[in-house]
Amino acid sequence: MKLLQYFRLWLACARYSITRTMMFRFDFLMWGLVELFWMGVNVALVSVIYEHTESIAGWNKYEMLLLVGSSMIVQRLLMGFFWSNLFELGRNIRSGHFDFFLAQPGNLMFMVSTRKVELEGILNVFVALAIVIYAAGKLHLQPDAATIAIYALMILCGLVIHYSLIVLAVSITFWIIKSEGLEGSYFTLTEFSRLPREAYRGLFKGAASFVFVYALPVVVVSNVPARVLIQNGINLTHALWLLAATVLWFALAVVVFHRGLRRYSSASS
Amino acid sequence: MFPALTKYRHAFLVGLQSNLVYRWNFAIRAFFSLFHLIVVFILWNAAFSGKTEIGGFNLAQTMTYFITLLVLQFFISAFSEDYQISEEIRNGLINQFLLKPINYYLYRFSIFIAARIVSGGLALLPVLIALPLLSGLLDYPTDAWRIAYAIPALLMSALIQFTIAYCFGLLTFWFLEIQSFIILSLAIETLLAGQVFPLDLLPKQLFEISQYLPYYYQMYFPASIITGRADDQTEILRNLGIQFFWVVALLIIAQVLWKRGLRRHTAVGG
Repeated sequence: MKLLQYFRLWLACARYSITRTMMFRFDFLMWGLVELFWMGVNVALVSVIYEHTESIAGWNKYEMLLLVGSSMIVQRLLMGFFWSNLFELGRNIRSGHFDFFLAQPGNLMFMVSTRKVELEGILNVFVALAIVIYAAGKLHLQPDAATIAIYALMILCGLVIHYSLIVLAVSITFWIIKSEGLEGSYFTLTEFSRLPREAYRGLFKGAASFVFVYALPVVVVSNVPARVLIQNGINLTHALWLLAATVLWFALAVVVFHRGLRRYSSASS
Repeated sequence: MFPALTKYRHAFLVGLQSNLVYRWNFAIRAFFSLFHLIVVFILWNAAFSGKTEIGGFNLAQTMTYFITLLVLQFFISAFSEDYQISEEIRNGLINQFLLKPINYYLYRFSIFIAARIVSGGLALLPVLIALPLLSGLLDYPTDAWRIAYAIPALLMSALIQFTIAYCFGLLTFWFLEIQSFIILSLAIETLLAGQVFPLDLLPKQLFEISQYLPYYYQMYFPASIITGRADDQTEILRNLGIQFFWVVALLIIAQVLWKRGLRRHTAVGG
């Protein structure tokens, strides 16, 4: 029952956001194009490199495109549903506007994260999806319903992990009021998730694998779902690994956020 | 002539000081650039496995290209000049320049030079620290003639970078919010200026077309001279000509935008 209530709450916020977006149509168009173009840049990189080589770390062109597409789906979902909310959270903590959320009846993390929905991000999810479908078609993949369901679940795990990483980064604002370079650090991290896991092997005496594959969940987020689709089957170890990482990072984000909350002392205006 | 220079010398000195305030921003940016470099290395290292060359260059030469871009960026790229100009138009700060014998373009350009001296200097620090790690990856050609071409190419690149940012800033006369324009054009610039991959890896025809666009001259052109990706001196000379054309064209566009924009400007606040 409670879940339904939250869903209704979210729906109301979403409806409001979309109405607002439609008031500024030109802006909507421009920002939609911005995201589209940045995806185009990544696709261009893949197509140009594969003009000169057949395989990167054992991945052929369309497998790579599928990987890049999967990582883009996660990123666009994050942009559509959470990004601007979390980005503003940092600013609100600094300015004291955060009080407004504290006064709302409801789970604080939910209220803070779901106030706005960015329509252009959500629409671009379909573009990213189209890239994945195109790549899958070129690879002659015929995933069954179970594979697609697992792929969707893994993408969702990826979204939770990205969400948690950003909540963690924003929560730093509770301790040090000035937190710069948040955007930069997120986009730098997502760059790592567009690379195949095998490419990290043995680099910098294994440090690259250790940091980006095992310590930070940036590589597993995109590689595990892409592999599920390519092999039309699930590697149980990888799936459990991703699930564990999801639970772990989300729990960490919840804990750190609430720890930080205790330090919040509002701001005089 | 000389009193005029003194004017902008002061703008330059003030720019130097105010940019030193933002040294941490530049330092953080340089730090993230190193991570970007790691991504680039992992990708190209994997692409090169079992190969000695891609597009006629080995892994070290390819990495030299990306490292050069990264360092050059801090010396010649426009960072937030467009936003600063937009801000000055919106809150009426430019009104004071309309009353004084100061050319707004030259004033902003003096500050731009100061900013690049500061950011370039700061970016050299992490590079120098990382040098022992990078030295195995650096492979520059040693021809002396390259310097003679690289210097004018670099100077004109800086001019093109700044003037494009300046034009985007001036769009504020027409649009309240210019951020989406800037990020949109940034995507195009990133791609066509060769930041994502060396442009010479493009299919031949596309590469030929890219040489007629201003983006080519923002970054790729000087970098290609320095790193040896451009080798044919007559072609370099021709491209210096095209680059000069773009400098002039952009300066004219900037002037037109300024003139037209001022007509719409209502000088609120100030």
